[in-house]
Amino acid sequence: MASSQYHVSLRDLSHVFTDGRQPLRALAAVSLDMPPGQFTSVIGPSGCGKSTLLRITAGLLRPSGGQALIHGRPPQQAQRARDIGFVFQDPALLPWRTVLGNVRLPLEIDSLHRSRPLPDTEELLHIVGLADFRGYYPHQLSGGMQQRAAIARALCFNPSLLLMDEPFGALDEITRSAMRYELLRLWEAQAPSATLAPSGRKTVLFVTHSIAEAITLSDRVIVLSRRPGSLRADIEVELPRPRTQEIERSQPFLDYADHLRDLLTEVPL
Amino acid sequence: MMQANATQRIMKAFIAYVLPPAVALTVALLLWEIWVSWRDVSIIVVPPPSAVIERFFEEPAFFWREGGYTLYEATLGLLAGSAFAIALAVLMAHSRLAERTLFPLAIVIKVTPLVAVAPVLVILLGFGTAPKIIVAALLSFFPTLVNAMTGLRDVNPGALQFLRSLHASPWQVFWKLRVPSATPYLFAALKVTYPLALIGAVVAEWFTGDRGLGLVIFVANSNLDTPTLFAAVGVLAITGITINVILSLLERRLLFWHQSTRSVQ
Repeated sequence: MASSQYHVSLRDLSHVFTDGRQPLRALAAVSLDMPPGQFTSVIGPSGCGKSTLLRITAGLLRPSGGQALIHGRPPQQAQRARDIGFVFQDPALLPWRTVLGNVRLPLEIDSLHRSRPLPDTEELLHIVGLADFRGYYPHQLSGGMQQRAAIARALCFNPSLLLMDEPFGALDEITRSAMRYELLRLWEAQAPSATLAPSGRKTVLFVTHSIAEAITLSDRVIVLSRRPGSLRADIEVELPRPRTQEIERSQPFLDYADHLRDLLTEVPL
Repeated sequence: MMQANATQRIMKAFIAYVLPPAVALTVALLLWEIWVSWRDVSIIVVPPPSAVIERFFEEPAFFWREGGYTLYEATLGLLAGSAFAIALAVLMAHSRLAERTLFPLAIVIKVTPLVAVAPVLVILLGFGTAPKIIVAALLSFFPTLVNAMTGLRDVNPGALQFLRSLHASPWQVFWKLRVPSATPYLFAALKVTYPLALIGAVVAEWFTGDRGLGLVIFVANSNLDTPTLFAAVGVLAITGITINVILSLLERRLLFWHQSTRSVQ
């Protein structure tokens, strides 16, 4: 199938949760193709199935209808190849392990290192700015630092696909904004790539509630409707890179923000 | 500098943690002593603490030896009961069917009165160490089962999904996530079950005893020898307190990462 030109292909994804008292339709026929190296944000009202979409993409949840493909194959293949990095709103670090122990956790899961070349965890900690904190335990770190450790952990095997579920949602506004530009710096430091060079930019699927976050980071913003979530808009963000904090005051940025705000408030009940 | 600080820290800890309960205990014993002599309470009803302490120091080796037997039986029972409970909890935490099938049986074990079981165990197992271990095991079984089951299930959902996104095996999820997540629960269980196991061993000795503090209490009770009885109870209490202190220290050391071990502030 020609789909392998895309890194991620979601085909008519729909999902109904049946474990509650009554069936809950979370997603309705969402289709999305992401070329390699694209930074895509998914934004939408609460409970519109954004997280469900991400979990299906990661192969953690089997969709009720449609399918998710990574390189044209089921996501389990990418799981097995340790080619998916997942970051959650809750850093979900293991509290009994040090920062370094948490970042090295994936190595113990794939203890034979069959899948990928051995990563340099010290370098990873350096990249996320935690080199001096490698021996600290999660409870000794601030929320922002915990989330950096979670990002380093997700990058452990240098996966080509990064799934981020409101990673900065639990942080205070100032830290949140700082983390946004750090992620941007990390991601833009890699060369843009239309192909899948391991050194190229990662394909990122980023779920957020924040309009500013979505525009600042993304090449493309997907707007989902209210539950059951379906594709409402698909917007290319044509702002020059590398982007800095200045961009948030530029007219094009404000135009995108207005447009997105309109889309989100117009969402019919 | 470091040395001085360490000494100071120990002094501070002593003043903060050891001194207050020691003062409370001394005051309580003094009030007891005064009450007994003031109301002229007969020694066969309640002995004065001085008589109990005197009785203990007549034969300290005897009391410690009998206490040692009881502690030994309680510990073996605790280990057996906990091991069985944890094995069952692993099964139940992974299968709701297993939980539905086996949990009612566990409740039967919990609600059966110990005093009713002990004579049956004597008939079944005779007067050796076995019935004491079994009674202690029965008492420590249920709290461990419930806590282990809750602990094995109480894992951070994000950490679980992260491991699954890396295609971790159930075995890896068990050892890397479930078992460490359950340790605070197991410690909480241990603080309840160790004293329970001691009680179980004492009660079993009472019924089937050839040795141990339970037998000492039984014999002393028959002879209206209250100083011996109270001395035996005192040894039991000291054993329980010591176990609790050791468990608390161990908990602080092993579960430093868990919020329960951090100070309230």
